[in-house]
Amino acid sequence: MKKHPVSLTVNTDTYDLLIEPRKTLLATLRDTIGLTGTKEGCSTGDCGACTVIVDGKAVTSCMMLGVSANGKEITTVEGLASRDQLHPIQQAFMDKGGYQCGFCTPGFIVASKAFLDENPNATEAEIRHALGNNICRCTGYTKIIEAVMSAAEVMRNS
Amino acid sequence: MPRIFREVITLRNFEFFEPTTIEDASNLLTQYNGKAKLLAGGTDLIIEMKARTATPEYVISLENIPGLVGIDYDEATGLRIGALTKMRTLEQDPTIRERYTALAEGAGEVGGVQIRHLATVGGNISHGSPAADTAAPLLALGAQVNIASADGERTVPIESFFLGPGQTVLETGEIVTGFECPPRGANEGSQYIKQKIREVMDLAFVGVASSAKTDNGAVSDVKIGLAAVAPTPLRATDAEAIVNGNSLTAELLEQAGTAASAQSSPISDLRCSAEHRREIVGVLTRRTLQAAADRAQG
Amino acid sequence: MSEYAVLGKRVTRVDALEKVTGAAQYGGDVHLPGMLHGKFVRSAHPHAKILNIDTSEAEKLPGVRAIVTQDDVESGRRVFATDKVLYLGEPIAAVAATDPDIAEEAADLIKIDYEVLPAVQDVMEAIEPDAPRLHSDDTKDSPARRAITAELRKLERDKSPADHSARIAELNTQLEATEDDVYYNISAETHSAAGDVEQGFAESDLVVEDTYVIPRVHQTYMEPHVSVADVESTGKVTVWASTQGPFAIRSGIAGTLGIPLNQINVVATTMGGGFGGRFGVALTHVPAVLLSQKTGRPVKIQMTREEEFTDGRPAPGCVIKLKTGVKNDGTILAREGLAFWDSGSVSGASIGSTIRLRGVYKFPHLKVDAYGVYTNKSGTAAYRAPGTPQVAFAGESQLDDIARKLDLDPVEFRLKNMRVEGDPVPAGPNEPKVGYKETLQAVADAVDWKNRTKGPNQGWGVAIGDWTNGCGPGGMFVSIHEDGSARIFHGSMDITGTDTALAQIVAEILTLSYEEVAITRGDTDSAPYATGSGGSVVTFTMGNTAKLAAEDTRRRLLELAAERLNTDVESLELKDGKVSTIEADPPKSIGFGELAAYSLSTTGGPIVGKGSFARKPSTPALAAQIAKVEIDPDTGRIKVLKMAASQDVGFAINPMAVEGQIEGGAVQGYAWATMEEMQYNEEGNVNPGFVDYRVPTTADLPTVESVIVEVEAPDGPFGAKGVGEPPITPTLATMANAVADAVGIRITELPMKPEKVVDALHGNGK
Ligand SMILES: Cc1cc2nc3c(=O)[nH]c(=O)nc-3n(C[C@H](O)[C@H](O)[C@H](O)COP(=O)(O)OP(=O)(O)OC[C@H]3O[C@@H](n4cnc5c(N)ncnc54)[C@H](O)[C@@H]3O)c2cc1C
Ligand code: FES
Ligand code: FES
Repeated sequence: MKKHPVSLTVNTDTYDLLIEPRKTLLATLRDTIGLTGTKEGCSTGDCGACTVIVDGKAVTSCMMLGVSANGKEITTVEGLASRDQLHPIQQAFMDKGGYQCGFCTPGFIVASKAFLDENPNATEAEIRHALGNNICRCTGYTKIIEAVMSAAEVMRNS
Repeated sequence: MPRIFREVITLRNFEFFEPTTIEDASNLLTQYNGKAKLLAGGTDLIIEMKARTATPEYVISLENIPGLVGIDYDEATGLRIGALTKMRTLEQDPTIRERYTALAEGAGEVGGVQIRHLATVGGNISHGSPAADTAAPLLALGAQVNIASADGERTVPIESFFLGPGQTVLETGEIVTGFECPPRGANEGSQYIKQKIREVMDLAFVGVASSAKTDNGAVSDVKIGLAAVAPTPLRATDAEAIVNGNSLTAELLEQAGTAASAQSSPISDLRCSAEHRREIVGVLTRRTLQAAADRAQG
Repeated sequence: MSEYAVLGKRVTRVDALEKVTGAAQYGGDVHLPGMLHGKFVRSAHPHAKILNIDTSEAEKLPGVRAIVTQDDVESGRRVFATDKVLYLGEPIAAVAATDPDIAEEAADLIKIDYEVLPAVQDVMEAIEPDAPRLHSDDTKDSPARRAITAELRKLERDKSPADHSARIAELNTQLEATEDDVYYNISAETHSAAGDVEQGFAESDLVVEDTYVIPRVHQTYMEPHVSVADVESTGKVTVWASTQGPFAIRSGIAGTLGIPLNQINVVATTMGGGFGGRFGVALTHVPAVLLSQKTGRPVKIQMTREEEFTDGRPAPGCVIKLKTGVKNDGTILAREGLAFWDSGSVSGASIGSTIRLRGVYKFPHLKVDAYGVYTNKSGTAAYRAPGTPQVAFAGESQLDDIARKLDLDPVEFRLKNMRVEGDPVPAGPNEPKVGYKETLQAVADAVDWKNRTKGPNQGWGVAIGDWTNGCGPGGMFVSIHEDGSARIFHGSMDITGTDTALAQIVAEILTLSYEEVAITRGDTDSAPYATGSGGSVVTFTMGNTAKLAAEDTRRRLLELAAERLNTDVESLELKDGKVSTIEADPPKSIGFGELAAYSLSTTGGPIVGKGSFARKPSTPALAAQIAKVEIDPDTGRIKVLKMAASQDVGFAINPMAVEGQIEGGAVQGYAWATMEEMQYNEEGNVNPGFVDYRVPTTADLPTVESVIVEVEAPDGPFGAKGVGEPPITPTLATMANAVADAVGIRITELPMKPEKVVDALHGNGK
C-alpha cells in the first residue's frame, strides 16, 4: 500500500516520515518515532491515555491517523519539561501524589495542560468535567484534581 | 454469531486521498463506489475500521476541502454550520449557546473533550446513528441538511435524512457540506438532555431536545427531537401538537410526555429495556419542554 | 508522629519524576531487535467441542514464524483449549509473525471446527441438574443434605449403648427425600459454623432474610497484559512482564514448561495497575515463551482491551442468601449465609472470603456455606480484598435494613455490636488489638454524623468492611556508599508507592535524609526472593524486611565506627548520617562515607546489610465509609454529594500514599455499586469495551475525604498495616444504604443503574 510523506513537528523536532496511512498517530509516535511516553490503554478513544496536543488542542491520538497529522504541531508528555524545569502540572502531580501506577499520568498531564492553557481560571467543576475523557483506575481522582487545581494557580501567578 | 478477535491497534491497509474540492472528493467516492469511505474527524470511522465492521480500501479525507468549517449567523437567513465543524467549537460558540442552546448542549454531550476536538457535526449526522447527540437538537431546531456532489447540490430537511440505523438518504458520491437552521428570536428557547449513567463519556440511553417560542404565556413552534428510541432519530410530532398554542401546565406536559413515549419505538438491549427508554422519553420530554419555554421567557 | 524524622511524612515518591515525564518503561514500551509479535486464536463460542484445528493455511502466510497449541505444552497444564472450549475468547493457539497485522491475519486463517454445546452463564442456573456441565465430577450436597449426612455419620460412629436406629431410619428417609438436593457444576466449597444458628434465630425478636446479587467486575488496570519473551540458544529464558509477582511468574513458567528456575529471568517492568489481576502466567507470559522457544527470537504479546474483558481474570460475581437475627435492643444474635460464587470455567473464585459475612461483629451464632460454581466464562482472580466487597455488600445492606426497622442509628447499632480486643471471632481466634470502633467513629465524626441534614431525595449511607493483610517472604540488601549515601536493592514490585515507604524506613533507621536513600528493583536473576505485590503485603512484609536490613546495616556501621574510634559499640549511636558517641564528652563522630571508604580499604569490605523475612502475624484492619447521595427519582440517576472514608492503617508511613489508596479504593467500590458489571448472554460477554463497561471519570465524583486512623499493629513495621485492599470493601453497601436512606428503596442486585432505581421506586408505589 502506498506510503505517504508526512512532515510533523513533535515537541521541538520536525520529522519527515514515510508512513502507511493505516498507522494511527499513536502508533506513529510510539513505534515510528519511538516516543513511548504516550500510552495505549484502550485504542478506542475511551481512556485518554494516548492524549497528545495537536495544534493546541488535546486529542486522543489512537483516534487520529498519522497521515492526518501532516503539517501539524504535536506536543507529547516528553515535550512539557524544559531541560532544567518541569512543567508546573508535572511538578504538581509529583507534589500532590496525583498518580499511582502512572499509566494514565501522561494523558492526564497533557490533557490538563491543553485545558488550562485555554481556561486558566477554570473551577474545580469545570476541570472535573473537562478531564472526563481520561480514566485513572488507581487514584480515585481526588489527588489528580488537587494537582491540577494547584498547578493552575502556579500557572496563573507566573 | 461467532466473534473474531482483532488487534485493535492498527487498521487494515487502505489508500488515502486528500482531495481539495467537493467535486474531486465526490468523484473518488463514485469511482470507488462501495469500497471508499469519507473521513472527517474519524471518531466513528476509525472505531469501525479497528473493529473491522468497516474495511474501506480507500479513505477520502475531507480536511483539505476549504469552506467546510465554520459557523455563520445572520438575523435574516439564520444559522449555517459547516459539516466539518468540530463538536468542541459548537459547544463553545456564543451564538449557538445563546440561540441554539440545545445544539450546544448536544455537541457538549459527545464523548469527552479530546473526542470533541476531533468529532465533527457532519460525521455525527452522516454516520446515521439513532443515538447521535446532535440529531435530536438539530431536529428540534428545524435544521436542513446541505448535500453536494460532483453533480450539484440539494437540501433535505433533517427529518427525512435518516433512513435506518447507519442509513441515510446520501447517494453515491454525495457529501454533507453543512446544516442550516432558521433564525431565532429572543423569545425562543431550547434544551437537550441525555439519559446516561456516567456524567461524561456515555452514549445516550435516550436523548430528547425541545424547542419552543413563547407568546403571552403560550408556547408555539414547538419541535421535539428524540434520539436512541427508534431506528432513526425522530420528531415527537404528537407531543408537539398537544402543547402547541397552549400554555404549559403540569397536566399538558404529562400528556405530551405520554405522547412522545407512544411515538417512540425503542428496543431492549444490554444498556436498558425498551420500557425504561419509553419511560425516560416521557420524563425528558416534560423537562426539556418546560426548560425550552423557561429559556424562551429569558 | 513527630518522633520520626522521615516516617509519617508526605514525601514525594521515588518514581515520581519518571512517571510525570513519560520516561517510565512499562511492558508495552519494551522493544527488542528482531522482535516478533504474537496473537491468539480464540474460541468463537462459550462452550464447544473442538473437532479440528487446521493451521496449514496460516503457516503458508509470509511472515508467520511459529504457531503453538496445547500440544506444545509438555506439562499438560492448560494454557490453550484442546478438546473443549469453556468460554468465548478462550485461547486455542498463538501465532508469532514479523508484524502484528500478519500475526492477526494468520490467526484468522487458522480454521477451527467446533461442535457447539449449550452454555450456562448464570450461577443459579448452573447448579441445577439440567444445566450444561463444564467438567465431570462436579456435584456437591446442599447444606441441608450435608447436615443430614453429618448427623448420620456421627450416629453410626457412636459406640455408646444408646439405640439410634429410629433416628437413623428417619435420617435415611430424609436423605432419600433430598436426593435431588445436590448442586451441579460445583468447583469448590467451604463451610464454617459457630454456636447454633437455629437457636439464635429462635431467640431473636427480628429475623430478616434477603438474597443479594453482585456482578462480575473487571479490575480494569489501565495497562493491558503484555509480555516480551526472549529465549536464547542456550535455552535461557528472559521475560519482560508487567506483573504483580515476578517470582510467581518465574515459578509458573518453570512449572508449566519444565524449565529450571535458574534458567528463567523475569524482568518486571513498571506496571500499569494490577489490583490482584496480574499474577497469572497463562495469559501472555507462557505463550510468549513458547513462541520464542519455537522461533529463537524475542516475541511480544500485548492484549487488547477487548481481550482483557473476554480473557482477563476478573473478580467473581456471586449470589448470597443471607439471614440475620437480632433482639429488639439491637443485639445481633445470629447470621446464616449461603453463597454461590461464579468461578467461571476454572476453580478459584474468592469463596474463602464468604466467612467475612461475620464482619467485625459479635455473632454468637454463625453459619456460612459457600460454593464455587462453574460457568462458561473466563476464570477469575483476585480484585482488591478478593471476595470481601461482595460479602460486605450483603452483610452491611442487611444490617442497615435492620437498623431502620428497629429505628436505631446505623452507626450506633454497628458500634454496639462490634468486637474489641480479646473478643472471640466467630469461627476464628480471639481478636488481637484492633481499632474497629475508632475507625467507624472517625468517619462519623468527619461528616458530623449526628448533625447530618438532607434535602429531598437525598440520603446518607454508612457501611464498613474488614480485611486482614497478607504476609509473605522477602529479602533485601542495603549498601552504604563511600559518600555516605545508601541504596536499597530488592525484588518486590511497587505500584502504590511501596518503594518510597521502604526508602523512608531505611532512612529513618539509618538517620539519613529521605533523599540520601536510593532504591533499585532487581530482576529475578539478581534480587532476593520477594512475595508478590498483592494482598496488601508489601508494606507489611517488605517494610519488616527493610527494617531488618537497615538494622543489620546499622550494626555493621556501629562495629566499624567502634573499631575506628577506639570505643565500644554500646557507647555509639547513629545521628544525622554519622556514628557519634552518645556521651558528649569527649564528642567523637565519623561519617558513613568515611566508614564505607575505610571498610573498603581495610578488611571489612563493602558495607551491606541484609534483611530476610518470612512471616509475622497480620492484624485485621477496618475501613468505614459514609456517602451522601441525591437521587433523581424520575431518571433514576444517582449523584454522590459527599464521600468520606476512614481506615485503620496502623501507622501511615507516607500519609499521601495512604490517602491515595483510600481514595482509589472507595471510587472502585462506588463504581461496582453504580455502574460496573460484565454482562453476558448465551454467546458470552457482550460488553468487552469501555463504551458499555463504564468506569467512573473525574466528572462523576466529588473529592473523597480520607480519614487516617492509626491503631498500631503489633507486628507491623513501626505499627503499619497493609492499606491497599480494605478501602474498596465497604463502598458497595455504603452506596446502597445511602440510596435506601434517600428514597426508601433497597436494591439488592448491583449495579444500581438508573433503570433499576426507577423500577425499584415503582415497586414502592412512587
Ligand atoms: C470515545 C468515543 C465517544 C463517543 N461518544 C459519543 C457521544 O457521546 N455521542 C455521540 O453522538 N457520538 C459519540 N461518539 C461517536 C462520534 O464521535 C461522533 O459520532 C462524531 O460526531 C463523528 O464525527 P467524525 O467527524 O469523527 O466522523 P467520522 O468518523 O469521520 O465519520 C463518520 C461517518 O460519517 C461519514 N462522513 C463523515 N463526514 C461526512 C460528510 N461530511 N458527508 C458525508 N459523510 C460523512 C464517514 O464516512 C463515516 O462513515 C463517540 C466516539 C468515540 C470514539
Ligand atoms: S488509547 Fe486512546 S483513548 Fe485509550
Ligand atoms: S495512576 Fe494508575 S491509572 Fe492512574
